[in-house]
Amino acid sequence: MRTEHPNKTNEELLAELEELRYQLHEATETIEAIRTGQVDALVVHGNNGHQVYTLKSADQTYRVFIEKMTEGAVTLNQEGLILYANSQFASMVGCSLSDVIGLPFQNFVAAENAPRYNQLFVQCWKEDCKGEVLLIAGKDKTPVQLSLTTLALEEGVSLSIILTDLTAQKRAQQQLHENNIKLEESNRALETSNHDLQQFASIASHDLQEPLRKITIFSNLLKERNEALSPEAKKYLEKIIESSSRMKTLIIDILNYSKLSANDYTFEQVDLNKIVTDIKEDFELLIAEKGATIRCGELPTLVANKGQIRQVFQNIVSNALKFTKPGINPVIAVKAKRIGEKSFAAAEQKDGTYILLCFKDNGIGFGQQYVQHIFSLFERLNSKDKYEGTGIGLAIAKKIVEKHNGLINAVSKEGEGSEFQIILPFTQNLV
Amino acid sequence: MVKRKILIAEDDADDQQFFSDFLQLRTDVVLLPIVENGEELLKALNNLSCENDLPHYIILDQNMPRKNGLQTLQTLKDDERFSHIPVMIYSTFTDENLIQCGTESGACLVFPKPVSKEGYNKMLDALFATAG
Repeated sequence: MRTEHPNKTNEELLAELEELRYQLHEATETIEAIRTGQVDALVVHGNNGHQVYTLKSADQTYRVFIEKMTEGAVTLNQEGLILYANSQFASMVGCSLSDVIGLPFQNFVAAENAPRYNQLFVQCWKEDCKGEVLLIAGKDKTPVQLSLTTLALEEGVSLSIILTDLTAQKRAQQQLHENNIKLEESNRALETSNHDLQQFASIASHDLQEPLRKITIFSNLLKERNEALSPEAKKYLEKIIESSSRMKTLIIDILNYSKLSANDYTFEQVDLNKIVTDIKEDFELLIAEKGATIRCGELPTLVANKGQIRQVFQNIVSNALKFTKPGINPVIAVKAKRIGEKSFAAAEQKDGTYILLCFKDNGIGFGQQYVQHIFSLFERLNSKDKYEGTGIGLAIAKKIVEKHNGLINAVSKEGEGSEFQIILPFTQNLV
Repeated sequence: MVKRKILIAEDDADDQQFFSDFLQLRTDVVLLPIVENGEELLKALNNLSCENDLPHYIILDQNMPRKNGLQTLQTLKDDERFSHIPVMIYSTFTDENLIQCGTESGACLVFPKPVSKEGYNKMLDALFATAG
Protein backbone atom coordinates (compact mmCIF):
# COMPACT_ATOMS: atom_id res chain seq x y z
CA MET A 1 0.00 0.00 0.00
CA ARG A 2 1.25 3.37 -0.89
CA THR A 3 1.26 5.89 1.83
CA GLU A 4 -0.01 9.10 0.48
CA HIS A 5 2.68 11.59 1.23
CA PRO A 6 6.05 10.20 0.54
CA ASN A 7 5.03 8.79 -2.75
CA LYS A 8 3.45 11.83 -4.26
CA THR A 9 5.10 12.85 -7.40
CA ASN A 10 6.85 16.08 -7.67
CA GLU A 11 4.18 17.39 -9.98
CA GLU A 12 1.47 16.48 -7.52
CA LEU A 13 3.26 18.28 -4.71
CA LEU A 14 3.73 21.37 -6.82
CA ALA A 15 0.06 21.35 -7.74
CA GLU A 16 -0.89 21.00 -4.09
CA LEU A 17 1.38 23.89 -3.18
CA GLU A 18 -0.16 25.98 -5.91
CA GLU A 19 -3.64 25.12 -4.59
CA LEU A 20 -2.66 26.09 -1.03
CA ARG A 21 -1.17 29.30 -2.28
CA TYR A 22 -4.37 30.05 -4.11
CA GLN A 23 -6.42 29.36 -0.97
CA LEU A 24 -4.17 31.57 1.08
CA HIS A 25 -4.45 34.31 -1.46
CA GLU A 26 -8.25 33.97 -1.47
CA ALA A 27 -8.38 34.04 2.31
CA THR A 28 -6.20 37.14 2.44
CA GLU A 29 -8.38 38.78 -0.16
CA THR A 30 -11.50 37.91 1.78
CA ILE A 31 -10.05 39.29 4.99
CA GLU A 32 -8.97 42.43 3.15
CA ALA A 33 -12.44 42.74 1.64
CA ILE A 34 -14.01 42.46 5.07
CA ARG A 35 -11.60 44.96 6.53
CA THR A 36 -12.11 47.48 3.82
CA GLY A 37 -15.85 47.06 3.99
CA GLN A 38 -16.41 45.54 0.55
CA VAL A 39 -18.07 42.49 2.02
CA ASP A 40 -20.73 42.22 4.74
CA ALA A 41 -21.45 38.52 4.45
CA LEU A 42 -19.73 35.53 2.96
CA VAL A 43 -20.52 31.98 1.96
CA VAL A 44 -18.16 29.32 3.19
CA HIS A 45 -18.03 25.87 1.77
CA GLY A 46 -17.93 23.57 4.81
CA ASN A 47 -18.48 19.98 5.67
CA ASN A 48 -22.24 20.53 5.84
CA GLY A 49 -22.50 22.28 2.57
CA HIS A 50 -22.53 26.01 2.07
CA GLN A 51 -22.97 28.21 5.07
CA VAL A 52 -23.66 31.93 5.11
CA TYR A 53 -21.73 34.01 7.65
CA THR A 54 -22.87 37.56 8.20
CA LEU A 55 -20.39 39.85 9.87
CA LYS A 56 -21.19 40.73 13.45
CA SER A 57 -20.11 44.32 13.17
CA ALA A 58 -21.91 44.45 9.92
CA ASP A 59 -22.12 48.20 9.82
CA GLN A 60 -19.87 48.71 6.85
CA THR A 61 -19.18 52.37 7.51
CA TYR A 62 -17.95 51.75 11.01
CA ARG A 63 -15.83 48.81 10.01
CA VAL A 64 -14.05 50.94 7.41
CA PHE A 65 -13.80 53.78 9.85
CA ILE A 66 -12.17 51.63 12.50
CA GLU A 67 -9.82 50.06 10.00
CA LYS A 68 -8.74 53.36 8.51
CA MET A 69 -8.51 55.46 11.63
CA THR A 70 -5.12 56.44 12.93
CA GLU A 71 -5.92 55.19 16.42
CA GLY A 72 -5.32 51.59 17.33
CA ALA A 73 -8.49 49.60 18.07
CA VAL A 74 -8.80 46.23 19.75
CA THR A 75 -11.66 44.14 21.09
CA LEU A 76 -10.96 41.92 24.10
CA ASN A 77 -12.97 39.18 25.69
CA GLN A 78 -13.58 39.08 29.41
CA GLU A 79 -10.32 37.22 29.93
CA GLY A 80 -8.44 40.04 28.27
CA LEU A 81 -7.56 38.12 25.09
CA ILE A 82 -7.51 40.02 21.82
CA LEU A 83 -10.44 38.99 19.61
CA TYR A 84 -10.02 41.69 17.04
CA ALA A 85 -7.41 44.31 16.22
CA ASN A 86 -7.17 46.86 13.44
CA SER A 87 -4.03 47.15 11.35
CA GLN A 88 -3.04 50.37 13.10
CA PHE A 89 -2.80 48.45 16.37
CA ALA A 90 -0.64 45.79 14.72
CA SER A 91 1.68 48.44 13.36
CA MET A 92 1.79 50.18 16.74
CA VAL A 93 3.08 47.04 18.42
CA GLY A 94 5.21 46.11 15.45
CA CYS A 95 3.58 42.69 14.83
CA SER A 96 1.54 41.22 12.04
CA LEU A 97 -2.21 41.13 12.58
CA SER A 98 -2.36 37.35 12.76
CA ASP A 99 0.26 37.38 15.53
CA VAL A 100 -1.70 39.59 17.87
CA ILE A 101 -5.11 37.89 17.65
CA GLY A 102 -5.64 35.58 20.59
CA LEU A 103 -2.88 37.04 22.75
CA PRO A 104 -3.59 38.66 26.12
CA PHE A 105 -3.62 42.42 25.63
CA GLN A 106 -1.51 42.75 28.75
CA ASN A 107 1.43 41.24 26.84
CA PHE A 108 1.72 44.56 25.03
CA VAL A 109 1.62 46.72 28.15
CA ALA A 110 4.98 47.63 29.70
CA ALA A 111 5.62 45.79 32.96
CA GLU A 112 5.78 48.98 35.02
CA ASN A 113 2.27 49.88 33.86
CA ALA A 114 0.74 46.45 34.56
CA PRO A 115 -0.90 47.57 37.83
CA ARG A 116 -2.39 50.60 36.11
CA TYR A 117 -3.70 48.45 33.25
CA ASN A 118 -5.16 45.90 35.64
CA GLN A 119 -6.91 48.64 37.51
CA LEU A 120 -8.39 49.96 34.26
CA PHE A 121 -9.36 46.45 33.20
CA VAL A 122 -11.34 46.01 36.42
CA GLN A 123 -12.90 49.45 36.33
CA CYS A 124 -13.94 49.34 32.68
CA TRP A 125 -16.64 46.74 33.16
CA LYS A 126 -18.47 49.15 35.43
CA GLU A 127 -17.89 52.37 33.57
CA ASP A 128 -15.97 53.76 30.61
CA CYS A 129 -12.51 54.83 31.62
CA LYS A 130 -9.26 56.20 30.29
CA GLY A 131 -5.63 55.93 31.26
CA GLU A 132 -2.11 56.36 29.98
CA VAL A 133 0.29 53.43 29.69
CA LEU A 134 3.44 52.56 27.77
CA LEU A 135 2.82 50.16 24.92
CA ILE A 136 5.55 47.69 24.03
CA ALA A 137 6.47 48.16 20.39
CA GLY A 138 9.36 45.82 19.65
CA LYS A 139 12.27 47.24 21.62
CA ASP A 140 10.64 50.61 22.12
CA LYS A 141 7.86 51.76 24.36
CA THR A 142 5.21 54.11 23.04
CA PRO A 143 3.11 56.27 25.34
CA VAL A 144 -0.55 55.69 24.55
CA GLN A 145 -3.86 56.66 25.98
CA LEU A 146 -6.30 53.78 26.42
CA SER A 147 -10.01 54.53 26.17
CA LEU A 148 -11.90 51.52 27.42
CA THR A 149 -15.57 50.90 26.78
CA THR A 150 -17.65 47.73 26.88
CA LEU A 151 -19.64 46.41 23.95
CA ALA A 152 -22.61 44.08 24.26
CA LEU A 153 -22.30 41.34 21.63
CA GLU A 154 -24.49 38.28 21.13
CA GLU A 155 -21.93 36.04 22.81
CA GLY A 156 -21.74 38.33 25.79
CA VAL A 157 -20.03 41.51 26.79
CA SER A 158 -16.65 42.32 25.30
CA LEU A 159 -14.27 45.19 25.80
CA SER A 160 -13.25 47.68 23.17
CA ILE A 161 -10.09 49.69 23.59
CA ILE A 162 -9.03 52.63 21.46
CA LEU A 163 -5.32 53.42 21.65
CA THR A 164 -4.16 56.95 20.93
CA ASP A 165 -0.46 57.40 20.30
CA LEU A 166 0.76 60.17 22.61
CA THR A 167 4.33 60.32 21.28
CA ALA A 168 3.83 63.51 19.30
CA GLN A 169 1.83 65.06 22.12
CA LYS A 170 4.45 64.14 24.71
CA ARG A 171 7.17 65.48 22.47
CA ALA A 172 5.25 68.71 21.98
CA GLN A 173 4.69 68.96 25.72
CA GLN A 174 8.37 68.38 26.35
CA GLN A 175 9.26 70.95 23.71
CA LEU A 176 6.82 73.42 25.22
CA HIS A 177 8.27 72.82 28.65
CA GLU A 178 11.82 73.35 27.38
CA ASN A 179 10.78 76.46 25.50
CA ASN A 180 9.10 77.82 28.59
CA ILE A 181 12.23 77.32 30.61
CA LYS A 182 14.30 79.06 27.93
CA LEU A 183 11.78 81.87 27.80
CA GLU A 184 11.91 82.31 31.56
CA GLU A 185 15.68 82.41 31.43
CA SER A 186 15.81 85.04 28.72
CA ASN A 187 13.11 86.98 30.53
CA ARG A 188 15.19 87.02 33.66
CA ALA A 189 18.27 88.04 31.68
CA LEU A 190 16.28 90.80 30.04
CA GLU A 191 14.98 92.08 33.36
CA THR A 192 18.48 92.10 34.79
CA SER A 193 19.93 93.96 31.85
CA ASN A 194 17.02 96.38 31.88
CA HIS A 195 17.61 97.03 35.54
CA ASP A 196 21.36 97.44 34.97
CA LEU A 197 20.67 99.85 32.17
CA GLN A 198 18.42 101.98 34.35
CA GLN A 199 20.95 101.91 37.14
CA PHE A 200 23.56 103.00 34.65
CA ALA A 201 21.43 105.80 33.26
CA SER A 202 20.60 106.99 36.74
CA ILE A 203 24.16 106.93 38.05
CA ALA A 204 25.60 108.33 34.85
CA SER A 205 23.11 111.16 34.83
CA HIS A 206 23.72 111.96 38.44
CA ASP A 207 27.48 111.79 38.31
CA LEU A 208 27.63 113.63 34.99
CA GLN A 209 25.71 116.51 36.43
CA GLU A 210 28.16 117.23 39.24
CA PRO A 211 31.15 118.20 37.07
CA LEU A 212 28.80 119.95 34.68
CA ARG A 213 27.51 122.15 37.45
CA LYS A 214 31.07 123.04 38.43
CA ILE A 215 31.84 124.02 34.84
CA THR A 216 28.84 126.34 34.87
CA ILE A 217 29.68 127.89 38.22
CA PHE A 218 33.34 128.48 37.47
CA SER A 219 32.51 129.91 34.06
CA ASN A 220 30.04 132.26 35.68
CA LEU A 221 32.64 133.29 38.26
CA LEU A 222 35.26 133.82 35.60
CA LYS A 223 32.91 136.01 33.63
CA GLU A 224 31.65 138.04 36.59
CA ARG A 225 34.87 138.59 38.43
CA ASN A 226 37.09 139.56 35.50
CA GLU A 227 35.96 142.85 34.11
CA ALA A 228 39.18 143.00 32.11
CA LEU A 229 38.31 139.98 29.96
CA SER A 230 38.37 140.67 26.23
CA PRO A 231 35.02 140.58 24.44
CA GLU A 232 36.20 137.45 22.67
CA ALA A 233 37.01 135.68 25.94
CA LYS A 234 33.60 136.64 27.29
CA LYS A 235 31.96 135.22 24.17
CA TYR A 236 33.78 131.92 24.65
CA LEU A 237 32.66 131.83 28.25
CA GLU A 238 29.09 132.38 27.14
CA LYS A 239 29.49 129.43 24.77
CA ILE A 240 30.78 127.23 27.59
CA ILE A 241 27.85 128.19 29.81
CA GLU A 242 25.34 127.58 27.00
CA SER A 243 26.83 124.20 26.16
CA SER A 244 26.78 123.18 29.81
CA SER A 245 23.16 124.17 30.06
CA ARG A 246 22.33 122.15 26.92
CA MET A 247 24.16 119.16 28.27
CA LYS A 248 22.25 119.38 31.53
CA THR A 249 18.95 119.31 29.65
CA LEU A 250 20.21 116.36 27.64
CA ILE A 251 21.17 114.38 30.72
CA ILE A 252 17.84 115.02 32.39
CA ASP A 253 15.98 114.02 29.22
CA ILE A 254 17.96 110.79 28.88
CA LEU A 255 17.24 110.00 32.49
CA ASN A 256 13.53 110.61 31.99
CA TYR A 257 13.56 108.44 28.88
CA SER A 258 15.30 105.58 30.63
CA LYS A 259 12.88 105.81 33.56
CA LEU A 260 10.04 105.06 31.14
CA SER A 261 11.39 101.53 30.80
CA ALA A 262 10.69 100.90 34.45
CA ASN A 263 7.44 99.11 35.12
CA ASP A 264 5.42 102.05 36.25
CA TYR A 265 1.81 101.11 35.73
CA THR A 266 0.03 103.55 37.98
CA PHE A 267 -3.07 104.48 36.06
CA GLU A 268 -5.82 106.81 37.17
CA GLN A 269 -8.69 108.84 35.72
CA VAL A 270 -7.10 111.75 33.90
CA ASP A 271 -9.06 114.77 32.73
CA LEU A 272 -7.28 115.88 29.56
CA ASN A 273 -8.87 119.37 29.76
CA LYS A 274 -7.09 119.85 33.08
CA ILE A 275 -3.81 118.72 31.53
CA VAL A 276 -4.14 121.34 28.77
CA THR A 277 -4.93 124.04 31.34
CA ASP A 278 -1.84 123.07 33.35
CA ILE A 279 0.34 123.15 30.28
CA LYS A 280 -0.93 126.57 29.27
CA GLU A 281 0.22 127.73 32.69
CA ASP A 282 3.61 126.03 32.33
CA PHE A 283 4.20 127.75 29.00
CA GLU A 284 2.63 131.05 30.02
CA LEU A 285 5.79 133.09 29.46
CA LEU A 286 6.65 131.48 26.14
CA ILE A 287 3.06 131.78 24.92
CA ALA A 288 3.06 135.49 25.78
CA GLU A 289 6.47 136.01 24.21
CA LYS A 290 5.49 134.34 20.95
CA GLY A 291 1.94 135.71 20.90
CA ALA A 292 0.71 132.14 20.64
CA THR A 293 -2.86 130.86 20.95
CA ILE A 294 -3.82 127.40 22.15
CA ARG A 295 -7.38 126.48 21.12
CA CYS A 296 -8.75 123.46 22.83
CA GLY A 297 -12.00 121.64 22.12
CA GLU A 298 -13.81 119.55 24.75
CA LEU A 299 -11.49 116.69 25.72
CA PRO A 300 -12.49 113.48 27.49
CA THR A 301 -11.35 111.91 30.76
CA LEU A 302 -9.55 108.62 30.36
CA VAL A 303 -7.53 106.09 32.33
CA ALA A 304 -3.81 106.83 32.05
CA ASN A 305 -0.63 107.62 33.89
CA LYS A 306 -1.17 111.30 34.60
CA GLY A 307 2.45 112.41 34.78
CA GLN A 308 3.32 110.60 31.58
CA ILE A 309 0.36 111.88 29.56
CA ARG A 310 1.14 115.36 30.74
CA GLN A 311 4.68 114.84 29.47
CA VAL A 312 3.34 113.84 26.03
CA PHE A 313 1.16 116.96 25.80
CA GLN A 314 4.02 119.07 27.05
CA ASN A 315 6.50 117.76 24.48
CA ILE A 316 4.11 118.20 21.58
CA VAL A 317 3.02 121.69 22.61
CA SER A 318 6.63 122.62 23.32
CA ASN A 319 7.56 121.56 19.78
CA ALA A 320 4.69 123.54 18.31
CA LEU A 321 5.86 126.63 20.20
CA LYS A 322 9.46 126.00 19.17
CA PHE A 323 9.20 125.32 15.44
CA THR A 324 7.29 128.44 14.52
CA LYS A 325 7.45 130.58 11.40
CA PRO A 326 9.10 133.92 12.01
CA GLY A 327 6.59 136.75 12.06
CA ILE A 328 3.53 134.55 12.38
CA ASN A 329 1.66 134.11 15.63
CA PRO A 330 1.61 130.40 16.49
CA VAL A 331 -1.82 128.78 16.73
CA ILE A 332 -2.17 125.33 18.23
CA ALA A 333 -5.53 123.56 17.97
CA VAL A 334 -6.24 120.55 20.16
CA LYS A 335 -9.20 118.33 19.27
CA ALA A 336 -10.48 114.92 20.27
CA LYS A 337 -12.95 112.38 18.90
CA ARG A 338 -14.01 108.88 19.90
CA ILE A 339 -13.26 106.09 17.49
CA GLY A 340 -14.13 102.40 17.45
CA GLU A 341 -10.78 100.93 16.53
CA LYS A 342 -7.07 101.57 16.90
CA SER A 343 -6.54 103.08 13.48
CA PHE A 344 -5.90 106.59 12.24
CA ALA A 345 -8.35 105.88 9.43
CA ALA A 346 -11.17 104.95 11.85
CA ALA A 347 -14.40 106.91 11.59
CA GLU A 348 -15.91 108.74 14.57
CA GLN A 349 -18.01 106.49 16.79
CA LYS A 350 -19.96 107.91 19.75
CA ASP A 351 -19.35 104.94 22.06
CA GLY A 352 -15.91 103.98 20.65
CA THR A 353 -13.31 102.59 23.03
CA TYR A 354 -10.48 104.73 21.69
CA ILE A 355 -9.80 108.44 21.60
CA LEU A 356 -8.08 110.16 18.71
CA LEU A 357 -6.30 113.35 19.75
CA CYS A 358 -5.07 115.91 17.21
CA PHE A 359 -2.59 118.71 17.82
CA LYS A 360 -2.48 120.97 14.80
CA ASP A 361 -0.04 123.87 14.48
CA ASN A 362 0.86 126.49 11.87
CA GLY A 363 4.62 126.14 12.29
CA ILE A 364 7.40 125.29 9.86
CA GLY A 365 6.28 121.68 9.47
CA PHE A 366 8.49 118.98 7.96
CA GLY A 367 8.58 116.70 4.94
CA GLN A 368 6.33 113.68 5.41
CA GLN A 369 9.30 111.42 4.54
CA TYR A 370 10.80 112.29 7.94
CA VAL A 371 7.80 111.15 9.96
CA GLN A 372 9.49 107.99 11.27
CA HIS A 373 12.71 109.90 12.04
CA ILE A 374 11.12 112.45 14.30
CA PHE A 375 10.04 109.81 16.82
CA SER A 376 13.52 108.28 17.10
CA LEU A 377 15.95 109.12 19.85
CA PHE A 378 18.29 112.04 19.09
CA GLU A 379 16.85 112.67 15.64
CA ARG A 380 16.76 116.31 14.72
CA LEU A 381 15.54 117.80 11.47
CA ASN A 382 16.69 121.34 12.23
CA SER A 383 20.03 122.65 13.35
CA LYS A 384 20.17 123.46 17.03
CA ASP A 385 21.44 126.94 16.22
CA LYS A 386 18.02 127.80 14.90
CA TYR A 387 15.86 125.59 17.10
CA GLU A 388 17.21 124.30 20.39
CA GLY A 389 16.34 120.91 21.74
CA THR A 390 17.75 117.52 22.54
CA GLY A 391 15.89 115.38 20.04
CA ILE A 392 14.41 113.25 22.82
CA GLY A 393 11.01 114.87 23.32
CA LEU A 394 9.07 113.02 20.64
CA ALA A 395 10.86 109.74 21.38
CA ILE A 396 9.59 110.07 24.95
CA ALA A 397 6.09 110.90 23.68
CA LYS A 398 6.08 107.82 21.45
CA LYS A 399 7.33 105.56 24.21
CA ILE A 400 4.66 106.81 26.62
CA VAL A 401 1.87 106.44 24.07
CA GLU A 402 3.00 102.90 23.31
CA LYS A 403 3.12 102.06 27.01
CA HIS A 404 -0.53 103.08 27.06
CA ASN A 405 -1.25 100.68 24.16
CA GLY A 406 -1.77 103.62 21.85
CA LEU A 407 -0.39 104.95 18.57
CA ILE A 408 1.26 108.20 17.59
CA ASN A 409 1.62 109.68 14.13
CA ALA A 410 2.41 112.99 12.49
CA VAL A 411 1.14 114.49 9.25
CA SER A 412 2.98 117.44 7.82
CA LYS A 413 4.29 119.25 4.77
CA GLU A 414 7.43 121.35 4.71
CA GLY A 415 6.40 124.91 5.57
CA GLU A 416 2.73 124.12 6.13
CA GLY A 417 2.43 123.30 9.79
CA SER A 418 2.13 119.86 11.29
CA GLU A 419 -0.52 117.74 12.91
CA PHE A 420 0.30 115.23 15.62
CA GLN A 421 -2.23 112.45 16.09
CA ILE A 422 -2.45 110.21 19.11
CA ILE A 423 -4.73 107.25 19.68
CA LEU A 424 -5.27 106.17 23.27
CA PRO A 425 -7.60 103.54 24.69
CA PHE A 426 -10.14 104.82 27.20
CA THR A 427 -9.17 102.17 29.72
CA GLN A 428 -6.02 100.26 30.47
CA ASN A 429 -6.04 96.52 30.98
CA LEU A 430 -3.93 95.93 34.03
CA VAL A 431 -1.95 92.73 33.76
CA MET B 1 17.97 141.55 64.53
CA VAL B 2 19.09 138.10 65.61
CA LYS B 3 21.37 136.61 63.02
CA ARG B 4 20.41 133.13 61.87
CA LYS B 5 23.07 130.53 62.56
CA ILE B 6 23.48 128.04 59.73
CA LEU B 7 25.38 124.75 59.98
CA ILE B 8 26.12 122.95 56.74
CA ALA B 9 27.51 119.46 56.10
CA GLU B 10 29.26 119.36 52.73
CA ASP B 11 32.14 117.10 51.69
CA ASP B 12 33.02 118.75 48.37
CA ALA B 13 35.74 121.38 48.74
CA ASP B 14 34.48 123.46 45.79
CA ASP B 15 30.95 123.47 47.13
CA GLN B 16 32.22 124.48 50.59
CA GLN B 17 34.01 127.36 48.89
CA PHE B 18 30.93 128.42 46.88
CA PHE B 19 28.78 128.32 49.98
CA SER B 20 31.01 130.58 52.07
CA ASP B 21 32.04 132.85 49.17
CA PHE B 22 28.51 133.51 47.99
CA LEU B 23 26.86 133.86 51.38
CA GLN B 24 29.42 135.37 53.74
CA LEU B 25 28.46 138.94 52.91
CA ARG B 26 24.88 138.43 53.99
CA THR B 27 24.20 140.38 57.11
CA ASP B 28 21.30 138.27 58.31
CA VAL B 29 23.22 135.00 58.73
CA VAL B 30 26.13 133.54 60.62
CA LEU B 31 27.83 130.65 58.84
CA LEU B 32 29.10 128.13 61.39
CA PRO B 33 32.29 126.24 60.47
CA ILE B 34 31.47 123.81 57.70
CA VAL B 35 31.55 120.09 58.59
CA GLU B 36 32.63 117.34 56.17
CA ASN B 37 29.77 114.87 56.52
CA GLY B 38 26.83 113.68 58.60
CA GLU B 39 28.94 112.02 61.25
CA GLU B 40 31.01 115.16 61.74
CA LEU B 41 27.83 117.20 61.97
CA LEU B 42 26.40 115.02 64.74
CA LYS B 43 29.72 115.12 66.56
CA ALA B 44 29.76 118.93 66.35
CA LEU B 45 26.19 119.14 67.68
CA ASN B 46 26.95 116.76 70.54
CA ASN B 47 29.99 118.78 71.54
CA LEU B 48 28.03 122.00 72.00
CA SER B 49 28.12 123.12 75.61
CA CYS B 50 24.79 124.91 75.79
CA GLU B 51 21.50 124.96 73.95
CA ASN B 52 22.02 128.56 72.89
CA ASP B 53 24.88 127.46 70.64
CA LEU B 54 22.60 125.23 68.50
CA PRO B 55 22.25 126.29 64.84
CA HIS B 56 18.92 127.75 63.72
CA TYR B 57 19.11 125.88 60.41
CA ILE B 58 20.90 122.81 59.16
CA ILE B 59 21.77 122.18 55.51
CA LEU B 60 22.77 118.67 54.46
CA ASP B 61 24.37 117.63 51.21
CA GLN B 62 22.71 114.41 50.08
CA ASN B 63 25.79 112.65 48.71
CA MET B 64 28.37 112.45 51.44
CA PRO B 65 30.64 109.65 52.58
CA ARG B 66 29.91 107.73 55.81
CA LYS B 67 26.53 109.26 56.53
CA ASN B 68 24.54 110.82 53.70
CA GLY B 69 21.95 113.57 53.93
CA LEU B 70 18.86 111.39 54.40
CA GLN B 71 20.54 109.19 57.03
CA THR B 72 21.72 112.22 58.96
CA LEU B 73 18.26 113.74 58.74
CA GLN B 74 16.77 110.57 60.29
CA THR B 75 19.18 110.70 63.22
CA LEU B 76 18.47 114.39 63.81
CA LYS B 77 14.70 113.89 63.76
CA ASP B 78 14.98 110.95 66.17
CA ASP B 79 16.90 113.01 68.70
CA GLU B 80 14.69 115.27 70.79
CA ARG B 81 17.53 117.72 71.38
CA PHE B 82 17.74 118.45 67.64
CA SER B 83 14.41 117.42 66.15
CA HIS B 84 13.05 120.99 66.26
CA ILE B 85 15.82 122.40 64.02
CA PRO B 86 14.66 122.95 60.42
CA VAL B 87 16.75 120.82 58.05
CA MET B 88 17.18 121.32 54.30
CA ILE B 89 18.68 118.71 51.98
CA TYR B 90 20.41 119.91 48.87
CA SER B 91 21.89 117.93 46.01
CA THR B 92 23.12 118.28 42.43
CA PHE B 93 20.28 116.12 41.29
CA THR B 94 16.97 116.35 43.11
CA ASP B 95 14.63 113.80 41.55
CA GLU B 96 11.11 113.03 42.74
CA ASN B 97 12.42 110.15 44.79
CA LEU B 98 14.76 112.33 46.84
CA ILE B 99 12.10 115.01 47.28
CA GLN B 100 9.61 112.40 48.52
CA CYS B 101 12.04 110.60 50.85
CA GLY B 102 13.37 113.89 52.21
CA THR B 103 9.93 115.34 52.87
CA GLU B 104 8.70 112.13 54.50
CA SER B 105 11.73 112.07 56.77
CA GLY B 106 11.01 115.58 57.97
CA ALA B 107 13.14 117.85 55.75
CA CYS B 108 11.53 121.27 55.43
CA LEU B 109 12.97 121.65 51.92
CA VAL B 110 14.79 119.62 49.26
CA PHE B 111 16.68 121.93 46.90
CA PRO B 112 18.88 121.57 43.82
CA LYS B 113 22.41 122.90 44.24
CA PRO B 114 22.55 126.41 42.73
CA VAL B 115 24.99 127.44 40.01
CA SER B 116 25.45 131.14 40.85
CA LYS B 117 25.69 133.57 43.72
CA GLU B 118 22.15 134.66 43.00
CA GLY B 119 21.05 131.02 43.14
CA TYR B 120 22.66 130.49 46.54
CA ASN B 121 20.94 133.54 47.94
CA LYS B 122 17.60 132.43 46.56
CA MET B 123 18.14 129.04 48.15
CA LEU B 124 18.63 130.59 51.58
CA ASP B 125 15.59 132.83 51.11
CA ALA B 126 13.54 129.79 50.19
CA LEU B 127 14.76 127.97 53.30
CA PHE B 128 13.84 130.89 55.55
CA ALA B 129 10.46 131.27 53.84
CA THR B 130 9.61 127.58 54.34
CA ALA B 131 10.97 127.14 57.83
CA GLY B 132 10.00 130.58 59.16
